[in-house]
Amino acid sequence: MNATLLIAGHEWRRLRMQPFAWTLAAVVVAFMAWQFLLALQAFVDLAPKLGGLKDAPGVTDLVAIPLLRSLSNLLLPLVPLVTMRSFAGERRAATLPLLLASGVGNLRIVLGKFVGAFGYVLVLVALVATMPLALAAGTSLDLGKIAASLLGLALFAGALTGIGVLCSAWAAQPALAAAAAFALSALLAVVDAGARLQGITNAGINYLALPTHLESFFRGIVASVDIGYFALVAAVTLALATRRLDALRGSPD
Amino acid sequence: MTAPVPTLALAHAGRRIAGRTIVRALDLELSRGEVLGLLGVNGAGKTTTLRMMAGVLAPTSGCVRLDGEDLHERPELGRRRIGYLPEVPPLHAELDAEEYLAFCARLHAVPRGAVASAVARAIERCGLGDVRRRPLGALSKGYRQRVGVAQAILHEPDLIVLDEPASGLDPIQALNLRELVRSLGRDHAVVLSTHVLPDVSACCDRVAILHHGELRHAGNVHASSTTSLRVGVSRVLREQEWRALPMVVAAESLDPAHWRVELAPGSAIDAFSAAVVAHGFGLTALAADAPPLESVFLAIAASDAPAAAA
Repeated sequence: MNATLLIAGHEWRRLRMQPFAWTLAAVVVAFMAWQFLLALQAFVDLAPKLGGLKDAPGVTDLVAIPLLRSLSNLLLPLVPLVTMRSFAGERRAATLPLLLASGVGNLRIVLGKFVGAFGYVLVLVALVATMPLALAAGTSLDLGKIAASLLGLALFAGALTGIGVLCSAWAAQPALAAAAAFALSALLAVVDAGARLQGITNAGINYLALPTHLESFFRGIVASVDIGYFALVAAVTLALATRRLDALRGSPD
Repeated sequence: MTAPVPTLALAHAGRRIAGRTIVRALDLELSRGEVLGLLGVNGAGKTTTLRMMAGVLAPTSGCVRLDGEDLHERPELGRRRIGYLPEVPPLHAELDAEEYLAFCARLHAVPRGAVASAVARAIERCGLGDVRRRPLGALSKGYRQRVGVAQAILHEPDLIVLDEPASGLDPIQALNLRELVRSLGRDHAVVLSTHVLPDVSACCDRVAILHHGELRHAGNVHASSTTSLRVGVSRVLREQEWRALPMVVAAESLDPAHWRVELAPGSAIDAFSAAVVAHGFGLTALAADAPPLESVFLAIAASDAPAAAA
């Protein structure tokens, strides 16, 4: 088996054994279910008025997409909690030498950690996605738009996971890693807030912001530039995490 | 004819951390079938040396070679060929011993079909049968240490690096560990770091003593261990009677019934004891006098001036 998948599978097994992972999943699903039911009730209340409007928004725009957008906001603090133990937890428990002495290259160790954490986050996204998708049994959904939104969410989660793994590789304490990852992710989420307040939406600063690229997916637009942006963030963060692991081979802890 | 390539070779290997020299220009070689005891006081550079041997740390000068190949140019060499037990066993507390060891086996590229047998063998060798299904976080320190040893040996590596493996073991477990290390030493190259000098005497063929990051002594553990003996006899003897034995170079009376006897280098103890019995001295006890290893270690530990490696 490829060492990357071996380490990813091992991360999964360890997550399954930890109450923390189950508790986190339960809290996310419960919170999103509450949001979903609120949005659905609002739509049911609004539906009679919408019936008379031409090109009125449907359940996809009023329930499914807002729910997924809400999930994207929740991922900002959530992903760092998942990734904080990737390396910082190993260092605190003095288990990192097991990986470093295994002869598996640093890049493959980092990729294994990334795939393991990313897989868990994707399961959370999939669990939340079942809520709006369940409406397909009783109404018609714009499945193309939902698919684009889920793809965007997955790419967004991948970029956040990359940031989280990087911070976990840099910090010696899991809590510090989570805080740093959240701060960096939040910075990338609001980096163009000032420009937007001034009505600037198409400048370089906007390109740096995570929401600029995620919003396209929520509108049903799958653009290679947005895919490339998220892939670039993930690739750069993982490359830096690998460099950090190279440097750790030279540190006393 | 060319000499066989040693399993492990440190060639002027040194390590600086944060501008401070932790290990300075070490030259060491180790082959299969040898157990090397690495001794030193706290801060002597033992753990850093072991990390370099295991591929966890890269040397900042010189190199570490595994079967003649530079370990840090080809780190993948270590995957099948090095087993490493760090000072703190790297255990994942939420897994049980079988799950953990199965992961370690796969991590060290044991073929999927051979994992179960490798894990079973390691569990048996380290006496983990009773706790194989218990979470590692719930194990006693001694058992955790044994799981750590098991993960280091389960893939049958060429080189086994053990950092304080007897830490936390009770006396019986420590004796079993000595047996295990001796048996590992028959087919592998083993490096054992310990503070317990009798462990080195009992397990190791060779010893290296580090002090202030320098190699101060390297030699055979048993080379000079039979030169000084403490002998009990029932007869009252004179020194000349001892000197009459061909292998005795000096004798000193400790009390009427006990003597410290120095043998000529290379003399066999069994030949000496046979001569004592043949001369009717009334042999009542025979033991090594102050162990030479301990003397050497204490002398080095007491010295603070850097010196060239022996």
